[in-house]
Amino acid sequence: MSTQILTLDSHKAGTPPGDLAIWFFIFAELLAFGIFFLAYAFARANNVELFNESQQHLNRESGAINTVVLITSSYFVVRAVAAIREGLSRQCVYWLGAAIGLGGVFLVIKLFEFHAKFSAGISLSTNTFYMFYLSLTIFHFMHVILGMVILAAVMLKAHQGGYTAEHHTGVETGASYWHMVDLLWIILFPLVYVIR
Amino acid sequence: MQYQSQAVAKPYFIAAIGLFVGQILFGLIMGLQYVMGDFLFPAIPFNVARMVHTNLLIVWLLFGFMGAAYYMIPEESETELFSPKLALLTFWVFLVAGALTIVGYLTVPYATLAKFTFNDLWPTMGREFLEQPLVTKVGIVLVALSMLFNLTMTVLKGRKTSISIVLLMGLWGLAVFFLFSFYNPSNLVLDKYFWWWTVHLWVEGVWELILGSLLAFVLIKVTGVDREIIEKWLYMIIAMVLITGIIGMGHHYYWIGTPEYWQWFGSVFSALEPIPFFMMTVFAFNMVNRRRREHPNKAAVLWALGTGVMAFLGAGVWGFLHTLAPVNFYTHGTQITAAHGHMAFYGAYAMVVMTIISYAMPMLRGRAANSEKSQVLEMWSFWLMTVAMVFITLFLTAAGILQVWLQRVSTEPLGFMAAQDQVTLFYWLREISGVIFLIGLVLYIISFFVKGETKEAA
Amino acid sequence: MHNIENQRSQFIRPCTRVWLGLLALTSVTYGIGRMELGGTQIVMLVLIITFIKGEMVAGFFMGLRNTSLLWRAIMASWLVIVGGGIAIAYLVGLK
Ligand code: HEM
Ligand code: HEM
Ligand SMILES: [Fe+2]
Repeated sequence: MSTQILTLDSHKAGTPPGDLAIWFFIFAELLAFGIFFLAYAFARANNVELFNESQQHLNRESGAINTVVLITSSYFVVRAVAAIREGLSRQCVYWLGAAIGLGGVFLVIKLFEFHAKFSAGISLSTNTFYMFYLSLTIFHFMHVILGMVILAAVMLKAHQGGYTAEHHTGVETGASYWHMVDLLWIILFPLVYVIR
Repeated sequence: MQYQSQAVAKPYFIAAIGLFVGQILFGLIMGLQYVMGDFLFPAIPFNVARMVHTNLLIVWLLFGFMGAAYYMIPEESETELFSPKLALLTFWVFLVAGALTIVGYLTVPYATLAKFTFNDLWPTMGREFLEQPLVTKVGIVLVALSMLFNLTMTVLKGRKTSISIVLLMGLWGLAVFFLFSFYNPSNLVLDKYFWWWTVHLWVEGVWELILGSLLAFVLIKVTGVDREIIEKWLYMIIAMVLITGIIGMGHHYYWIGTPEYWQWFGSVFSALEPIPFFMMTVFAFNMVNRRRREHPNKAAVLWALGTGVMAFLGAGVWGFLHTLAPVNFYTHGTQITAAHGHMAFYGAYAMVVMTIISYAMPMLRGRAANSEKSQVLEMWSFWLMTVAMVFITLFLTAAGILQVWLQRVSTEPLGFMAAQDQVTLFYWLREISGVIFLIGLVLYIISFFVKGETKEAA
Repeated sequence: MHNIENQRSQFIRPCTRVWLGLLALTSVTYGIGRMELGGTQIVMLVLIITFIKGEMVAGFFMGLRNTSLLWRAIMASWLVIVGGGIAIAYLVGLK
């Protein structure tokens, strides 16, 4: 009975959920993306017309849908954490599976987008805008894959009954990483697809 | 020493130190040639001395890494080495091949050496750090493979720890990326492009794995901190190395004819490369502060802490200094590069090898630590070499800033040699610091022969 | 049981509301993009929305709102620096 209080209280005690090490990692990743976002913004400042013009050729709909997909997937992961905090391994696995499935949807939509761009002959060297658009989204794409791998590993362990209401740091660790992937897209979408 | 076969590390360490002395002597010769152009002319031209200086550096570091691996892997795996005989055989092959190569550099003109060693059949020579004749390169590969086979078999039959796995990954990576030295496309852009796959992916990639695991090993031993904590740090450091270091290679692709996006990739990712080095420093100090025991080997602790700090300064700070494309535009290939190269190589790799030697050598000689007197001398040598290296770096940086100014920024730019003439003072000061470095190195060697009361190894 | 109820009311329900909020804010951002609106005020609005979304994810989903000030400050300053930097760059680009 007191265990629930413990898990909630342990957050109040100061440290974020999951393994501390993942948080170092998360902040290092945020730093890397942050610098990349700023580089984009300032490169744009030097070349507003090119960026505005090229931006119109992006598929804003798929960007928006992907935002929804990732946000929802993140929410499913929240439910997975909530489930395991109640000791419900089975539910935890389901929620994680759903989250990973949405990750897959994200990848597929993104692949269509890439395909359209590549078959239009666009590459990293087309212009500065596309250099940024492609490298930012590809870099993020790889993080989605990494996040899915982490979630899959967590799901496998949860499936084997490796987590309990008392001990489930692994779930929170994977969840925190996945939320970061979501957070990055939440910034990337308006930055690259919307702001003009 | 817990396993008999760890003893094979000893000749590797001795050879490493011997070649280190050779490296420094040739550094000093070159340093003098910088200010007295015809010193030792025509016996040892500058380009030959340079080649000997840098190749000896690489080879002694490799000896150090191999010795470290042969020492650590049995202890980590809790089993004897798969084949100590093979390890000794490899040692002699490597030593003889290395010695013959250096003799070749010094006795015959480089072009003749190239001809004798079939370079025209498969040209690989003539590129900085990778000057070795084809036969030597093949020899290095064979030596590396035999070592990897030996170590991998040992790990497979014994306990698998994250330290030994990271070390093996680093050593395998070292061998794999060396293979790019056999690829020498005639297109100069591609040549340079893949040259960095060996050079950069070594020092800012797989060697950092080796560095991390050596440091972690020594820290576990001297501090007694829980393995789990140390392993967690190790993983985070490795992850950061790989995230930043691989694409960070772009900082060498700014001006060699590669696409423009490398200026962005290189700047962004390499700007983050100091992070893992910084983490290593924090790691070392943190572990020592949390230590659960007072290890009698104070010198080894000092080396470990020194490695953290100097690697961060040399690679992290001095690397960052010129890693952004707009800065590198001015500093590319100047003395600033040399300043960074010296402090980074010394602070990260020379020092980590001395760290493991400092820890392992007494063990190999049957004691937990050297006598008080010997350790005091070793610590003196630590300070002399390290401070001398800091000064070498500072003088070269000063020379580099002036060089950039005179040659590339000022309204009436001077030619290369004219600019060099203006900074001779700093080259003299660098040479004096170099002599102090040599004194430190001599003391270091003497410290191995200082007797006195010692404790038996546990 | 009381604790499970506790966690449902303090973790799941707020997160559900946050999720719906995020969807709503995303549609605003999308709408702005769709109409190809631009200009300083619009961009600042988009950035503020993004900041709020970021704080929502960090605070609720990632659970930072239950941590010490330090963690929340690190995350908030990251969002502020990135968002603020983008805003500054935008203004620079207007000239
Ligand atoms: C222990 C790790 C490192 C070692 C041993 C090392 C060593 C070297 C050496 C020897 C060179 C000269 C290569 C040549 O002959 O052209 C060099 C170049 C360079 N290094 Fe490092 N380095 C390390 C880490 C770093 C880091 C972390 C950074 C960035 C933050 C960095 C940035 C650079 C840059 C930008 C150059 C090119 C300089 C130029 O354009 O001339 N290095 N490094
Ligand atoms: C102690 C006295 C030393 C002196 C006087 C010295 C001097 C020199 C000189 C003159 C060069 C050639 C620079 C050029 O091409 O213009 C050089 C290159 C180099 N030295 Fe040293 N060196 C010393 C010690 C060391 C040490 C201890 C290390 C590393 C542990 C080292 C690593 C290197 C490297 C990596 C290069 C190639 C740098 C590059 O490509 O930028 N040297 N050294
Ligand atoms: Fe590099």
